[in-house]
Amino acid sequence: MTPVRLFGYTDRISVKPGETIQFHVSAEGTDTAEAQLVRLIHGDQNPAGPGFVEEQVACAANGRWRVEPQFTQVGSFLEVDDPEGRLAFANSFTLFAFVHPTWPASGKRQTIIGRWDGDRKQGYGIGIDEKGYLQFWIGRGEEIERLTANVPLQVQMWYFVAATFDAETRRATLHQVGVGNRYNGLLGKVALVDYESRKSAGFRSRPGSLDSTPFLMAGSRSRDAQQRTCVSELYWGKIDRCGAFDQALQPAELDTIRSGLVPAMDSLVAYWDTSAGYTDRGIGDLVVDVGRHKLNARGYNRPVRGQTGWNWDGFTDCFRLAPQEFGGIEFHADALTDCNWKATKTVALPLGLKSGCYAMRLRSGWGKSVSEEHVVFFVRPGRPRARIAFLFPTLTYLAFANERLSFDHPEREALTGQPAVLSDIDIEMYMRADFGLSTYDMHADGIGVCYSSYHRPVMNMRPRYRMPSLDVASGLAADLSIIAWLDQSGFEYEVLTDEDLHRDGSEALSPYACVISGSRPEYYTERMLDATEDYIAGGGRYIYAGGNGFNATAGIRDGEPWIMECRRRDDGYKPWVSRYGEHYMATDGMRGGPWKVLGRATQKLVAIGLSSSGGGRSEPYRRMPDSYHRTVSWITKGVDGEIIGDAGLANDGAAGLALDYYDRALGTPPHTKIIASSGGHTDSYVVNQQLVLYSYLGLYGSYDWRVHADMTYFTAPHGGAVFACGSVAFAQSLPINTFRNSASRVLANVVEAFAGAGRLPGFAWVNEEKQWA
Amino acid sequence: MLPLEYDRSQDRDIIVRDRFDGCRREFLRTLVTPEVIEEHRRSPLGQHSERLERLLIYFRQRPLDERYAVRAIEPFRRYQVVKLSGRRGVPPRVIDTGIYTSANEARHGLFLRCIRDLLET
Repeated sequence: MTPVRLFGYTDRISVKPGETIQFHVSAEGTDTAEAQLVRLIHGDQNPAGPGFVEEQVACAANGRWRVEPQFTQVGSFLEVDDPEGRLAFANSFTLFAFVHPTWPASGKRQTIIGRWDGDRKQGYGIGIDEKGYLQFWIGRGEEIERLTANVPLQVQMWYFVAATFDAETRRATLHQVGVGNRYNGLLGKVALVDYESRKSAGFRSRPGSLDSTPFLMAGSRSRDAQQRTCVSELYWGKIDRCGAFDQALQPAELDTIRSGLVPAMDSLVAYWDTSAGYTDRGIGDLVVDVGRHKLNARGYNRPVRGQTGWNWDGFTDCFRLAPQEFGGIEFHADALTDCNWKATKTVALPLGLKSGCYAMRLRSGWGKSVSEEHVVFFVRPGRPRARIAFLFPTLTYLAFANERLSFDHPEREALTGQPAVLSDIDIEMYMRADFGLSTYDMHADGIGVCYSSYHRPVMNMRPRYRMPSLDVASGLAADLSIIAWLDQSGFEYEVLTDEDLHRDGSEALSPYACVISGSRPEYYTERMLDATEDYIAGGGRYIYAGGNGFNATAGIRDGEPWIMECRRRDDGYKPWVSRYGEHYMATDGMRGGPWKVLGRATQKLVAIGLSSSGGGRSEPYRRMPDSYHRTVSWITKGVDGEIIGDAGLANDGAAGLALDYYDRALGTPPHTKIIASSGGHTDSYVVNQQLVLYSYLGLYGSYDWRVHADMTYFTAPHGGAVFACGSVAFAQSLPINTFRNSASRVLANVVEAFAGAGRLPGFAWVNEEKQWA
Repeated sequence: MLPLEYDRSQDRDIIVRDRFDGCRREFLRTLVTPEVIEEHRRSPLGQHSERLERLLIYFRQRPLDERYAVRAIEPFRRYQVVKLSGRRGVPPRVIDTGIYTSANEARHGLFLRCIRDLLET
């Protein structure tokens, strides 16, 4: 019997009461599920805290839902819009493309371009066989005729490839010529490798053609076990300019195309100029046919655009400077940006819904075989009323969505200093290809994943989830500790998401006197960063309730907030690195990597920024002399003694996982006060590599003073202020002892002051000689 | 990066790596004492003596297909030690029937496995 499994996602994650939201659910082993709307209050199961807490909410959609298994098309490819079948060649033709395979000998067939139905054996294509050899093939429904190159394709090298078929003579040719230069590939001129192959053969028949077969790049038509049409024989690698003629070109004509010129011949049916349509602010998913038929191609699972092309000469590092050298489009057979499941249910949310984090809880099965899924979304207020907003760092959730670092990343265990603790959902996620990868993972061809999406089940954006490499609740499950704290504190609050901040800018924040961040608000678009800076500079009061914040650039395309882009530079702190020339985001043209390198270190915004990270034991903070200053002594009011946060759900201390520190050289505002600092961190905490110029022995917790967290405060223009907690683990110290503890006391003092009307406490103390208690 | 599963049979540096690994293991075997094992049992996570830390650094750097992990059968209640496959999509396999009642006990069980591998090969 198929075990019962339920998985789902929503069409959008930020909604208002009364709005509709679509749930896309796929089920295995059952055709019904019990749905119940719940508000999520606490997400960490650690028995040292309140445990998992949810609250059932009345909703017309509660009850039994019909569910079914859904099909997921994994892999990125392009489909040509050819309604008149101009590419359904029945006679002579030529195909050509510049290609850069990233996994030629993958053990599976790959189609580069063609109009091929592999299931029905109809059509034609150029691709790569199981062993990594270029191949040209045609079929008429029975047998497949193939012409295979003499030498294998080399990984990460550029080639010009072409195939011709002369219907009169039935002569087929296949051309493969290396077009590597000093910069554009893995190997240099010195490598003794044969890149060239020219072969011809007589085919017995002409290609067949089905009306239903699409012309695809990086894949071909097939059918799954249920006879649903799908795309398979997916290609790993880059394709640059490519096209088709309805004539068999001569070798000299092919040589002309290889030089970069496309002859304006009448027989040119389509020429996809992959570098056309670029703007400084991004590249869309449409690949333009600049020929007379305008047979444009549309990307699925977002092929990566703006990549270095066959003719890139290494002089420019960005597609904005020389678009014609950045015509590479990169494809991966394991890419996934949208499951495209049918909507299972469209739900109108109750009008009186309190702003917060919600989930549709789906259950099916009995006893130990019960399957439970929380499909999470966030409800912002219809109209802002509260003085406090909690901002869920959903962009960071997206960056980490379904990460598999503990299974695949050889350095992860060394980084966290502890072996992975895997849950069953981690193992299941690892075994499935249909949930996609995170921007922390690499595609199977070794290339980093630069797109992540929430149009798929996101297993680590669930309550109770624990990050295996650190064995702590992380992301949403950790941030709910702040929600639970706000709930019990009696403060009125509303919630927002990064999506709202990116879309609405500082207007998303301006209705609130006080905004509280999540525990790891790491990924920020430029618009989000600007909005936060403007909010604070305009008199907003901001609580940075975490660490490792505002660190990494990210991109979101307008109108498609479910996909985020992340490119990673060698000057960052990263699980992989983008190739040179590919550091700029196709989404918006921004440079990828850390904000610090762009002159926007976290310290400039909130006084502190990433100093180090690690795993294992967390530490408490100790009050620093500034905390006794009359301007800020109200922050620690009610704290007994010197220690703050000596317990927590994340390794038993408020300072842990990732730590932020004060650094004037990186832009900490000059009048910032350090309220408390942590210390005594273990050697699994290492100074962040963005802070050092060389690697050397001794950049660890017990050797280097920079391994610590600073809790800071500064006042900003127009009555604004920033309180920064300095550690990712801080939020998880709040629930200890039923929320009665020193970390909780400090946060309550600050929230009360920030949300209050009028000036901030301590404002009257202006004479230096009277400021020390 | 090359494909995660590319054919490594032609990589000559595997010989260099193996030679380095052999020397390293030979030295690391001299560090294994009852005191080191007891230190780990008391505190699998945290600040360690240099002797223990050197062993742990080695274990954390093992190739993925030789790496162990802890499986949480039931978080905070039941754990076991598993071995990673090192191959995408292939789940870790259970290597013994030992059940631990805390993550730290399982981490120590995993450590003892690593010590056994070090001493026996």
